[in-house]
Amino acid sequence: MLKIKAGKDFWSGVMFLCFAAVGLYIARGYSMGTSGEMGPGYFPVVLGVVLGALGLLLIARAITAGDEPVASATIRPLLLLVVGVVAFGETIEPLGLVLSLILTVAIAALAGRESGPLEIAILSVALAALSVGIFHFALRLPLPIWPAL
Amino acid sequence: MDFLTNLATGFSVALTVTNLLYCFAGVLLGTLVGVLPGIGPVTTVAMLLPFSFTLPPESALIMLAGIYYGAQYGGSTTAILVNIPGEASSVVTTIDGHKMALAGRAGPALGIAALGSFFAGCVATVLVVVAAPPLASIALSFGPAEYFSLMVCGLVAAIVLARGSVIKALGMVVLGLMFGLVGSDINSGIRRFTFGFRGLADGIEFVALSMAIYGLADIALNLGKKEENAEVHSKIGRVWPTLADIKYCIPSILRGTTLGSILGVLPGGGALLAAFAAYTLEKKVAKKPRRFGHGDIRGVAAPESANNAGAQTSFIPMLTLGIPSNPTMAMMIGAMMIHGISPGPRVMTERPGLFWGVIVSMWLGNLMLVILNLPLVGMWVKLLRMPYRLLYPSIVVFCCIGTYTVNSNLFDVYVMAFFAVFGYVCVKLDCEPAPLILGFVLGPMMEENLRRSLLISRGDAMVFVQEPISLFFLIVAAGLLLIVALPTIRKTREEAMQE
Amino acid sequence: MTTKLRMSTIAAAIGLSLLSTATFAQSYPTKPVKLVLPYSPGGVVDFIGRTLAQHVGDALGQPVVAENRPGAGGIVGTDVVARAQPDGYTLLLMDPAIVINPTLQESVPYDLFKQLDTVSVVSSSPLVLVVSPGLNVKTFAEFVAYGKANPGKLNFASAGIGTTPHLAGELYKQSTGIVATHVPYKGIGASYTDMMSNKVQFAFSSIAGALPFTGDNRVIALATTGETRNDVYADKPTVAESGIKGFSVDLWLAVFAPVGLPADVKTKLNAAIKTALEKPELKAAFAKVGASPRGTTPDVGAAFVKADFEKWKKVIVEGKIKPTN
Repeated sequence: MLKIKAGKDFWSGVMFLCFAAVGLYIARGYSMGTSGEMGPGYFPVVLGVVLGALGLLLIARAITAGDEPVASATIRPLLLLVVGVVAFGETIEPLGLVLSLILTVAIAALAGRESGPLEIAILSVALAALSVGIFHFALRLPLPIWPAL
Repeated sequence: MDFLTNLATGFSVALTVTNLLYCFAGVLLGTLVGVLPGIGPVTTVAMLLPFSFTLPPESALIMLAGIYYGAQYGGSTTAILVNIPGEASSVVTTIDGHKMALAGRAGPALGIAALGSFFAGCVATVLVVVAAPPLASIALSFGPAEYFSLMVCGLVAAIVLARGSVIKALGMVVLGLMFGLVGSDINSGIRRFTFGFRGLADGIEFVALSMAIYGLADIALNLGKKEENAEVHSKIGRVWPTLADIKYCIPSILRGTTLGSILGVLPGGGALLAAFAAYTLEKKVAKKPRRFGHGDIRGVAAPESANNAGAQTSFIPMLTLGIPSNPTMAMMIGAMMIHGISPGPRVMTERPGLFWGVIVSMWLGNLMLVILNLPLVGMWVKLLRMPYRLLYPSIVVFCCIGTYTVNSNLFDVYVMAFFAVFGYVCVKLDCEPAPLILGFVLGPMMEENLRRSLLISRGDAMVFVQEPISLFFLIVAAGLLLIVALPTIRKTREEAMQE
Repeated sequence: MTTKLRMSTIAAAIGLSLLSTATFAQSYPTKPVKLVLPYSPGGVVDFIGRTLAQHVGDALGQPVVAENRPGAGGIVGTDVVARAQPDGYTLLLMDPAIVINPTLQESVPYDLFKQLDTVSVVSSSPLVLVVSPGLNVKTFAEFVAYGKANPGKLNFASAGIGTTPHLAGELYKQSTGIVATHVPYKGIGASYTDMMSNKVQFAFSSIAGALPFTGDNRVIALATTGETRNDVYADKPTVAESGIKGFSVDLWLAVFAPVGLPADVKTKLNAAIKTALEKPELKAAFAKVGASPRGTTPDVGAAFVKADFEKWKKVIVEGKIKPTN
């Protein structure tokens, strides 16, 4: 247990505080209403205050009672996964399911660092084919398959 | 007495070849969509609704019902194997189920889920037969005040769910409640916390949130561990639960079934709360609660029994009162009306063949499901033999398609990307997602019922203690809170960490 | 801009040469037509939309595919169609929310009258006034009398702010001077438990929502809101004939297309819809949810939509119903 050094509890507290601050900042524009007709701001403000208090409590406890250090984080996999998902979002409507999935799988596969180019190619084509089979042919979901003309 | 005649009527309808086939088609499809993350029973029933209009009403309802409870079986599969809860009700199953899979006990987890569900399904079906009208009256006695207090109780239970720090769990619940507020406020109509995005007007999509936190964030963590040279997926163990496993789980299954049967009757979140409540109860009564969260088989048996029992009893308000307890039930009411049947108390007397036929088919369907699912366990376990580098891109693909197809809305996909990062941060900070999810799902209902109660009582907060059922839940909630808080108050931090 | 876009579209079509006569509307339709339903599956709009799609498809000789694009009370789906190509391959089925939202919401992304064109109003359906049995009123007149004798005691349920059941309730308040508290629910179906236990006392409900509860008088149907009586509740008077002159609320559905539809395509679509609406199977299906087929010409339809827009605008402004912070 390290003292003072910012760890898991400390940063959790900071995270809660941040969300509480954003929540309260936005909710200031919503009316509180009366107890009979509660306005849209009532519940968010109560939650914001409670969350903020919990955040402060965590920070205080981390400082006084010690804290566990945050384990090291590897950003690359997360980053590539997020890029892959965004790529899916950007391409599914213009390019259709097949091309979009090939791209997404290729990016996602890079996140793991273990697959070679050939394996990635086979995997992406196989997954695209499988998905078209399941979602288009079996479940008949209205998904674009090929680029729209 | 009538009971046997009723059952005979039911069997005579459900046992015809056509209806058996439709029942089988329903449960098979239900299992499939339950396994696929994102595509739930609501979407499937909706797609099949037009087709069902061409069938006789008995066959149509038997099939649609099969999809609904079949999906409950399938939902646990992805929760256990790849940590993705297909539906809110399988969120708790991930906690111990996936841990079991990591420890090479995916087979026993899947097996006990199927067996527990089967048992619960059978008991709940009998309950529907013998006690539908009295159970239905429970649903009728729940007004907004009762719902609000029930939600409070459920949220307090969420804190008990958590493994680590109580304060963090509380924070995650409150954060979940706040996420739940995003979107149009039903009382005033204004849009809250949408940051100007029209895609958030209906709130954060549950599927996007859960797949991000459970699916994507989990993958990122696993890949990170790989880079740090830690082992991710370990050995594949036995395929079946042992007799000892089953014996060990019997009390849990019984408790889960009871809780699920009762809570399932409540429209709106009843079946979902059942799974959470069952898990909480297990953790409270267990002799070695510390094993929960680290792959305790009872942590799979209880919630899986509860959500399946809840799925069966949620038919009660629909069949006897005409009140839909969830969107799937609303669609089934639609299906009945298209066939010229008004759901309500009179269905039982005017269309006994339909009423009892559907109920008996539920029992048959559960039998089919367990026969269908047990052999599949072996196949699913083999899936885990697939190297992780090939498995995880498939999960990413299903997350993307699943999220996109819920509303055909691209915005949901970006929401998922955002929450993947959030989920990753949370796990790194030891903030558990289960309380957040529960807060997220219950939050809007809680606010809605709170405001509705006060609107109807003209601002008098005493309604919550004047109604006996509401008072009961508030007392239970206070009791639970006290149990959780006492160790913290006593200040020994280590103790607080355990419970 | 349009020509440029067209050209590039054609170029792309030739370039990829997958379809032969893609964009030329010589013999519309040459490919399946998409009918956007801006609500989740399972509701009345979904049911009517899918039934209509099937029969219009038969009449057109090309399948009409219903596609749910739910979100923001219909705004998302409406916006998708408002921004689509006016080629007759993307259509919209929408209810009165399309005319209510522009007044009610702070902003909507589409301009109802500049971006969307009425092809035909396909159905009409009244709402039904249902009351809690706890009120002990048997007729509409008794109900009005009760409301006047007990000001501020009544609550009425709706399917949410700005929905037709809500605005119908406001219209009722405005035309009778009765004071009642609005209690919104997520969908009218959710309100029936509270209505049976007399926590809320009345609602203007869709017929489909009310049917399961009125058959055995667990809630009492008093009157319907159309201009004439409805077949489903043939023994119930209309609100207008019971004394509130001019009170009419119609839960209509209409097919819209992006503005700029070629005249021949519009004519063909309108005719196909008319043919479909005359089929007995479709009439029977509509009747089950209390809807009667209409099938107006585009001009009549547009005028009707405009009139409904004005009617609700007045109710919203007078009742000060805009969402407030």
